[in-house]
Parts: sequence; C-alpha cells; structure tokens
Amino acid sequence: MVHDPRLNKISRRTALALPLGLVASSSTIFNNLAKADQPVRGGTMVMIVQPEPSTLAHYAVTAGNIPPIATQIYEGLVTYDWDQNPQPNLATSWEIAPDGKSITFKLREGVVFHNGKPFTSADVQFSFMEILKKYHPIAPLLLAELTGVDTPDEKTAVLLLANPAPYLMKGLAGRDLPIMCKSVFEGTQILQNPSANKPIGTGPFKFGQWDRGQFVRLDRNEKYWKPGLPYLDHIIARFIPDAATRSAALETGEAHFAGYSAVNYADLARMKTNPTLDTTMKGYEMTPALSVLELNAKHAPLDKKEVRQAIAYAIDRNVILRDVMYGYGKPATGPLSSLFKTVGFYTDDVHKYDVPDRLDIANRLLDGAGLPRGANGMRFGMHLEVNSFGEQWLRQAEYLKQALAIVGIDLTLRSEDTATWLRRVYTEYDYDINEPFLSQGVDPVYGLNKQYLASQIRKGVTFVNDSFYANPEFDGILNEAMREQDHDKRAVLYKKAQQILAEDCPLVWLIDVQYVSVFNRKLHDHTTGPLGTQQAFERAWLET
Amino acid sequence: MWQGVARFARNRMALFGAAVLGCLLLLVVLTPVIYPDNPFKLAGPALQPPGGRFLLGTDTLGRDVAAEIAYGARTSLLIGVGATLAAIVFGAVLGGIAGYYRGRTETVLMRLTEFFQTIPAFIFALLIVAILSPSVSSEIIAIAAVSWPSIARLVRGEFVALGGREFVQACAGLGASDARIILNHMLPNCASSIIAVGSLLIGTAILLEAGLAFLGLGDPNVMSWGLIISAGRAVLRSAWWICTFPGIAILLTVLGINLIGDGLNEALNPRLRER
Repeated sequence: MVHDPRLNKISRRTALALPLGLVASSSTIFNNLAKADQPVRGGTMVMIVQPEPSTLAHYAVTAGNIPPIATQIYEGLVTYDWDQNPQPNLATSWEIAPDGKSITFKLREGVVFHNGKPFTSADVQFSFMEILKKYHPIAPLLLAELTGVDTPDEKTAVLLLANPAPYLMKGLAGRDLPIMCKSVFEGTQILQNPSANKPIGTGPFKFGQWDRGQFVRLDRNEKYWKPGLPYLDHIIARFIPDAATRSAALETGEAHFAGYSAVNYADLARMKTNPTLDTTMKGYEMTPALSVLELNAKHAPLDKKEVRQAIAYAIDRNVILRDVMYGYGKPATGPLSSLFKTVGFYTDDVHKYDVPDRLDIANRLLDGAGLPRGANGMRFGMHLEVNSFGEQWLRQAEYLKQALAIVGIDLTLRSEDTATWLRRVYTEYDYDINEPFLSQGVDPVYGLNKQYLASQIRKGVTFVNDSFYANPEFDGILNEAMREQDHDKRAVLYKKAQQILAEDCPLVWLIDVQYVSVFNRKLHDHTTGPLGTQQAFERAWLET
Repeated sequence: MWQGVARFARNRMALFGAAVLGCLLLLVVLTPVIYPDNPFKLAGPALQPPGGRFLLGTDTLGRDVAAEIAYGARTSLLIGVGATLAAIVFGAVLGGIAGYYRGRTETVLMRLTEFFQTIPAFIFALLIVAILSPSVSSEIIAIAAVSWPSIARLVRGEFVALGGREFVQACAGLGASDARIILNHMLPNCASSIIAVGSLLIGTAILLEAGLAFLGLGDPNVMSWGLIISAGRAVLRSAWWICTFPGIAILLTVLGINLIGDGLNEALNPRLRER
C-alpha cells in the first residue's frame, strides 16, 4: 500500500484543533499505531560501509563493500524472495526453453536510467556480452555457457546458451549481474569509463556525491519505476575505519545501519543491550561463506589422506566458534555452507569429523600413517600461513597451533602482509597449511568448481584450487551437475560430490560464517530479502 | 668505579628504576617455574576477570594473562637488549671509524648516518619487518637498524674530542696500531657515554617492539606485550584487564629503564658530577 504522509498531517492538525479530549486521544492512538507499521516518506538513512570501497565500478570489481552502495543504483533482471525463487524486477517474466539452451526475458515497460535513457533489450545485451562477460571477475563463470543475447524487439532479450546453465537463474540480481546503460559505455574504454565512480543505473537511488574518506551520498530517484518508492530521500554510506567509532556511531544514533559484520563481533553483546538498537542475521541467505584450512597436498605428509583427516579430527570447531567468532556461525560439516539447505543442495550425511573420540582417531590415523611422536612429543612440523585480513585470523591461528600440538603436529605461524601472503600461497605454492575465508556464491557451481576441480589448479590466481586436489570421478560429477536441469537430480549429484570431498578431505572446513547486521529500531523494512544489504533499500523507511 | 656506583645509589629515582628492572629480571628467571606451560595454552574459560582462578584474568581465547605477561617480559627484554647491543656494535664501529680517521671517510659515513636518521624510525622498522617477514630476529634487525645512528654520532663526537688528547698522540707516537689505540685507549674512555645512551635505547627498543607486535608484525609464535594488547583491544570496553596489565608492564619497564639511564648518565658523566 502506498502511504500519503499528507493525510497523517491533516488528521493530526485536525485532532489538535478539536477541543474534545476524547477525539484527541483516540487520534494519538491512531498516530502511534501508524508510526509502527506505516511507512513514512522522507528522511536520510545513514549506513556504515566498511571498509571504504576503492571504486564503485560494480561491473568490473567484486568486493563485499561495493554492493551495499552499488545495488541501490544498479538493478538486475530479477530479485529473489525468501525461498530464493526469482521474482520479476527489470524482467517481468521469463521462459526457459525445454532443452535449457535459451532463456527468454520479457522486459519491463517505462523504466528509465538515471540519465533519462529508456531501458531496452539492447542494454541487457551490452551489459552481459560487452561488460560483464569481459570485465567482471566472477560473471564469466556464471556466463560461461552464454554465447549471445538476441534482441527480437526492444522489450525482449533472449539469452543463448551453449549448454543448459541451471545456476544462471540464481545469479540475475543486481548484485551478481547488474544491468548498465549501453549508451553510457558504448564506444568507450569500459574500465576507464567516467561512470565507474558516478554510477548510472535504473535503481531507486541515484548517485549524488562521493567525498573520499568520508561518505557516499545517494539521492532519491524521483522517476523510479516502482510507484511511490523509495521512501527515503537520501542514503548516506559512511566510512569509519575505527571499529570502536563505528560501534559508537550506532549507539549514539548517528548511523542507522551497519551490515556485513561492519560491527566487531566482540561489540555485539553490548549492542544487544542497547534499547535503541537491534540486530539481525537475516539477509545473508545468498551470501554463504566458509572459513577453511587449505592443505598443500604437494607437501608431505599432507599428501596422505589419513594425515589430512587427522588434522580435521584434531580441531575443535566449537572453540573457534565460541572464542574467535563470538558464537556467530556454525561448525562447518563439509564443503558446502549449510545455507544451501534452503535450495536442497546441502547435506550433512558425510564423513563426520566432530565426533566425541576425535582425538583418539586423529592419533590413530597419524600412527597408522607412519608418523610416530618424537622425543618432544611432536610427530612433524608444518607452517601455517596466517590470513592477513584481520586480527581474528591470528587468534584462530593461535588456537590451531595449540589444537594440533595435542595430536603431535608442531605448527609454526607465519604472518605476512596481504600481498606477500597471497603470492606465497597462490603463486609460489610455498605453503603447508593456509587459513583463508571462502565465499561460495549463489550456487554450488562457484564454490565447489573453483576450489576442487583439477582444471582450477591455476598458478597465480587467488582463491582457486591450490591444494592440488585432482579426482577425475569427482570432476565428472561436478561437470554433470553444472548442466543438469532437473533440480532433484542436481541435488543427488551434489550430495555425492560432498560425500567424496568430505572423505578425501583436501581441505579442512572450519566455520560456516554468519554475518550480522546492526540497526536502529527507527529504521524499518531494511532487510526485505535474502540478499539483505546487497539489494536496494527502496522499502526502507525511518520513523520520525 | 665505586664512586660511580655510590653516586648512582644516591639517586632515588635511579634506585627505583633498578628495583623495577630487578623485579622484571626475577620474573623472567622464575617464569618457567611459575608458569611451566606454554603461554599460548588455553588455560580456562575465555574472558575471566582478574582475581579468580587467574590472577590477572584470561583473554579472548581463555589464555592466562599473567602467564602471557611473564613470557612477554622475556621477549621484550630479549629484543630490547638484543637490538640495543646490535645497534651499539654497529653504531660504535661506524662512528669510531669516522671519528678516528676523519676526512673523506668521516664525511661519507656521517652523511650516511644522517640519511638514516631522517627516516621516521617506526615506519622504517615496519618496512624492514614486513620485508623480512615477522620473527624475533627480523624485529631485532629492524629495531637495531633504526637505533644505530644516535650511537654512531655519539661515538664519532667522543672520538673527535679524544683524538687530539696527549695520551692518544703518545700511543700513536709509540707506534701502536690503529686497532690497539681504538680498542684499548679510546673506546674505554667513551664507554660511560655509550652505557648511558645505550640504556635509554633499551627502553625505546622495548616500545618499538610493543608497537610492532601491536600492529601484527611481531613474531606470531612468541608471546609479547604488544600482541596481548592488540588481541585485547577489540574487547577493551568489556574486558579491560587484557589491555591494562600488559600496558602497565610496558609503562613500568620503560620508565624503570629510563630512570636507570638517567641515573647512569648522571653518575658517569663528568660534567654532571658536581651538581
């Protein structure tokens, strides 16, 4: 329902003008009710984005801090409901051909870009073929099968696929495959386009101003195609490098929203006792991530399955969860995040490592692998590369050193700056154990394919298969699952894949990560779907 | 010599400093007895306040803060003394050569020294540790590398002053080698100044080490005060004890060493003797 704020004002004035107390008080009650569930037009929402993005070129750079701003401006063909089913957005309807090799989208009438140009199928074609497929870091994976986009008329776009790509229907939101305006980019150097940091899209908010080091201001799009929306006049994305100051900004009401765990986990307990604030773990259902240990199978004795399994047994994930992650998340059971349960791809029917007698099993496996304890109680020594993306990873590394010492593995921690760390691990492969944090994308295709396919052993490419896992049977299953159109058959294939991985144990899966949003209770309807902070705040409104 | 000790003992502040340092050394010696376990060991529940089973509480991973501080003292002293010794040896050699030979050698060496002196010490140390990859030895190298110029300038100044004195010229006249003159006659005569400045350098080195560890550039396998503070910073408002106690340890240690340095300076510096 579209709410007209003028009505409210008139009724309030009328009520005050009336001398009858009865009428006045009933009107007050009405106003209070209205406050709680009736959206109000206007206001400026301040959200904290951490850290400040280096660019707003959402179509060429993937970093978790860009979408909270960019998805206010760029929209996708569809959005997703809480069950992660596609819902109409820039496309009003779609049809997948029976052979799965084309998808026909009917596009919405009356949509205009912020520069006044109408949105047509040519924009879809240009965005997919000329920008995303060529310059986006992850989209080429999503669009691997896309051979072209047909535009029979202005409001019809047909994606042509070499093979069925069932996962594509999961990645059409503005976060993953945004639609840009063809006339802005055509004939220019895409990566040098001036709209990189002054984005032009079809979304509910227009780019206003970027004061480097301070904030990005977004202004209400008066011509937004959803009538009456958005409610807010402005969104200010503020950048506050210091964690304590970020928390203080929320506590004082200076900022209304902080998503993607911009607030230190350690501060959340205190935030929860603040009556003006609330937290939610919703809105991250399509942002699965796992913290893991990568084991370099080229370095003995990590080439032995028993040794890798022993490491998996030796770690108490509940300690990491409690003391490093402050209780946010879940112990990981296998290679896929449990968030894939919603779509039926996750299974915990795999080789289990969190068992009561895990230390005995670990010791037995290591004994069996011919690695007896030496005089100092240690069997062998290894280096652990400390993740340089934040201090919590050093805490985790310190715990891991203690945990593995119990079963006789002597870890030496090595902490280097980000560039040196990534080069050592992904280019020089000069590591034993690495502790990265892996995003898994919207479909198992991304997380599993890039991490475990033998073809993804790519020297110099970060966050791909660096553990040298190569299993032809497994590769066959993943490649089949990638093209299988029947959802249930895909689920069976992915279940089998997870079971093989959990048994072979090329990685040790630690924590199924849970992000948290902190918000002021005056801010309503901010998290309206599974993409949460990475979709537009068109329905968000502020109590006055 | 005994005169010097007596003069030092008359200085109450210096005695206080010596007492603090004495306690610290005692702690370092007794640490393996009091806390036989590795300081990284998860000793109990996380974030226990001080006073219970754990004298100074536990940190975010449930490690005993008191044990961490005790082991951190060893690291701080090791790196503080190690880096200072390295800086003194290197600085004294360079400054000595420059001050003894003078001329073009001096010009080149002293411009080099000044060049190093103009680089901001902490940032230069950060850079060196980042390049060498964090470890105890790279921290010692980095801190020594930013500390030697002051020693070099001091020694050069003393050598220039001593060079014209009769006893030095007499040695040269008797045919003593350069090495003999420098090591047996000149160095002992500026030892008091080196000791005074060097003792102050230890304090600076300990502060630098804590700063490096705080920024995550300490050796991750060795407990240090900076590391404890950096780990406790996130929970400063809910668990004050994690940052506070190592902070007090750094404060007392650096203060104590500085007071000793001042005391030594007064006791050994002839110009201050009569005050």
